[in-house]
Amino acid sequence: MTGQRADDYQDVLESAVGHMQDMGAEFSDARSQTIRVTGVSSMNGELRQLVEKATGGVCLRAWIGGRWGYGTATSFDRADIMSAAASAVANARGDGKSDLHLEPASVRRHIDARVRIHPDSVDLSEKISAVLDLDRAQAVDDRVINRMGSYSEEIKDNCLVNSVGSDISWQEVRTLCRAMSVASDGQRMERYYDGPDSTLGFEVVRDTDLEEVGRTTAEEAVATLSAERAPSGHMTVISDPMVSGLLAHEAMGHASEGDEITKRRSFLTGAVGRRVASDVVSMYDDGTVHGAHGSVPFDDEGTPSSRTQIIDHGEYTGYMHSLETASQLGCRPTGNGRSENYGKRVWVRMTNTFFAPGEWDRDELIADTRDGILCDKMVNGMEDPVGGCFEAKCLRGFRIRNGEIAGMVQSFTLTGRSVDILTSADALSREVVLDGGMCGKGIEDWVRVSSGGPYMRARMIVGGGQ
Amino acid sequence: MQALSGYDQAEVYVSSATVHTIYIDDSRISNIETKVDSGLMVRMSEDGRLGKASVSLNRDSAVSDCVSMARAVLRYSPVNGEFTGYAQPGQARIAVPDVWDERVESVEPEDLREIAKVLIDNCDVDIPRAQIRVSANEGCTMNSNGVDVHHRSTLVYGHFTSMTVGDHPGEGMETYHGTHLDLDPEWIGRELTRKARAASVCREFKGSESLSMILPPSELGDMLTSSVGAAVDGENRKYGRSMWRDSLGERVASECLSITDDPTVPAPLSCVFDDEGVPTERRPLIENGVLRGFLRDSFCGDSTGNGMRRSSVEAQGAYERTPVIKPLNMVVAPGRMSREDIVAETDHGILVEKFAWPEADELTGRFGLNVRCGYLIRRGEIVGTVNNALLMGNMLDAVSNVECIGDDVRQMGVVSVPTMSFSGAELVGN
Repeated sequence: MTGQRADDYQDVLESAVGHMQDMGAEFSDARSQTIRVTGVSSMNGELRQLVEKATGGVCLRAWIGGRWGYGTATSFDRADIMSAAASAVANARGDGKSDLHLEPASVRRHIDARVRIHPDSVDLSEKISAVLDLDRAQAVDDRVINRMGSYSEEIKDNCLVNSVGSDISWQEVRTLCRAMSVASDGQRMERYYDGPDSTLGFEVVRDTDLEEVGRTTAEEAVATLSAERAPSGHMTVISDPMVSGLLAHEAMGHASEGDEITKRRSFLTGAVGRRVASDVVSMYDDGTVHGAHGSVPFDDEGTPSSRTQIIDHGEYTGYMHSLETASQLGCRPTGNGRSENYGKRVWVRMTNTFFAPGEWDRDELIADTRDGILCDKMVNGMEDPVGGCFEAKCLRGFRIRNGEIAGMVQSFTLTGRSVDILTSADALSREVVLDGGMCGKGIEDWVRVSSGGPYMRARMIVGGGQ
Repeated sequence: MQALSGYDQAEVYVSSATVHTIYIDDSRISNIETKVDSGLMVRMSEDGRLGKASVSLNRDSAVSDCVSMARAVLRYSPVNGEFTGYAQPGQARIAVPDVWDERVESVEPEDLREIAKVLIDNCDVDIPRAQIRVSANEGCTMNSNGVDVHHRSTLVYGHFTSMTVGDHPGEGMETYHGTHLDLDPEWIGRELTRKARAASVCREFKGSESLSMILPPSELGDMLTSSVGAAVDGENRKYGRSMWRDSLGERVASECLSITDDPTVPAPLSCVFDDEGVPTERRPLIENGVLRGFLRDSFCGDSTGNGMRRSSVEAQGAYERTPVIKPLNMVVAPGRMSREDIVAETDHGILVEKFAWPEADELTGRFGLNVRCGYLIRRGEIVGTVNNALLMGNMLDAVSNVECIGDDVRQMGVVSVPTMSFSGAELVGN
């Protein structure tokens, strides 16, 4: 390991908080963060990327009159941190005043990452080998024109102190590897991907059959070349766990972020107690799921992570909060105040967002469907908290006719009104899977999350691209 | 560079930025941020093996730490058969573009407060979320081949949303991409008002139909970047995943369409040397519908000066990014028609005010996009406003089906585009 850890600077952070309080802050916090990344990727058997990165800095926040001021230093020098603290207080001052008071908890804890094999203990050569193994395993067919393997680890050390006495440090470790194949028959091109992600250590790689992941990824990319164009129209859709997660995240999750509620920007403003889905649908955001990609012991304001029930058997039950939105709505903070890094603003963000399981098997769901489409993996999605709609792009799918799979279809897009879709949901599988990814707030501020759920049957608008 | 002597080749890239951001939440100024960011990336090669590392310059030992990390990486690196070397020094081919605004360099939080206040005062609906971010950025690339280039620019980026209240709220959005503090907060406020009110009267589209699509710059920009930008990417061609890989010199678009990568005019990534130190120049990509060139970086070979680490919207963290092929400023040659003229010329179509997220698939060009607000057109007139529908098509096909090109060019990230209309799209609703 190169360089210092974020908690080496605790004394300076405490001084900075004292400085901001002396300058008139009603509340202040200081968070140092170091981020170390190892990235390895390959293309057609050659290493394309092999890089180590180490970044770090300090974020100072001052709360005055209902307004945050931020100061950020990409430096651990005491004078630079004190200067950023002064900027934070100056930036918080302005016209207009609110008497809103934050109610942060005072927490004193120091937590190491819960990993079995810390990536720091693994030789870089084994990480390179894993990527090349993933790459080689995709060489199963001449139509696979691009074989890509990748490995990434991110180790974040955080230290936070605030003006109510919190003194916290914690480490987050995220490890993932992925295979992606592009296949072409000379006219068409299709792709497929697979691979695990986590807040676990290198055990994620050692416990994965890399040969199997690489080979099946390539085979599925080739198989997709023969897929037909997806149908269009309002129809029955069985979302796979990945697309169910996208629905949870985009259709309901973003609209349940407390800042969208305080701004009355969400169609779920004032919806607590209202029916928003059928009885079979329950949904959570839970930052405490061990090993899931979006899990965090504390959010970036020092609030312990928690499990928030959003839908309980069809009834809407609540929102996710930061310190600010919790105070605005008279609730307890839920540990969802997150930022991309020390240089970015804290927003209300999801962690691991998912639908709870149902009572069906996947095959029972297919057998019970007369005419529909089964999703297989997602590409991306977009929320619409104002309009109450969503958009989900699926990598590919399968037609279902008379209870049987009746051929593969190319990529397509799903849309519709979130409440209408969830109200039409009538069957969910017992199997729940979480899938890791990145989530932006609007168009930037990317944080690591996961989303997931069971196979879920509902009615929505399907559009097959040309 | 001294610490890297002894290697076959070595390169250092250093970037620094001072960034000020003001946030508007719920029609009031909620935060102001001040950020200072700097760091470096080191790359070196020895006997075909490559080392690479980046650090933020946050401590005295940062530079030596970075070199140590890169050395460790190089020790483990297998021989890379595709590496041909870092950039060779070259003479500037264009004059320095006007990408530095002293008003940005000297901006104070109070200046941003004033702009935000004007914006809020001129918007008659709520502004749930908006931000204006300005930065003064410097970068330097040096390598053992003799490259020693320096770049500085200012960046101004704004992202604004608006919303009406009531049972059927409508949402509007505006963006600003530029290098100068020339954004017009009064105009943005008025546009936010207009767009949110238009969205609030949308009716859900039902059924399906084939029609022409009219895309304004705000929606077309990202769709062209993700489709045409990917198709002219030299690395995609090298690895066989560009749909235009074998089409150089052939017709790939309508004769009326010409696109040039032009770093000579003020735009967020315009520069004399790219982030690897290769001279840039004005480069035709599509001339009258014929494919004239691909964009390349040093890794791809025979670089066209398109190896970029910088972002068109965000100055922070440029040093962390490995150069990738990017258009510097992809300019679509404008036509002579106003947007109103294009609508009048359209028999059966939709003018899209806002997609959920405008993009096309980078491999195939396919798209299926949720229309948040669109105007249905019949015989040259707008006859209704719709939402909650999917507009489907393929952008790589659409550029061969151009009907009209507007005169209303706007900068959208790394592209500069007017409103355009295309035949052959499909709209599907409930």
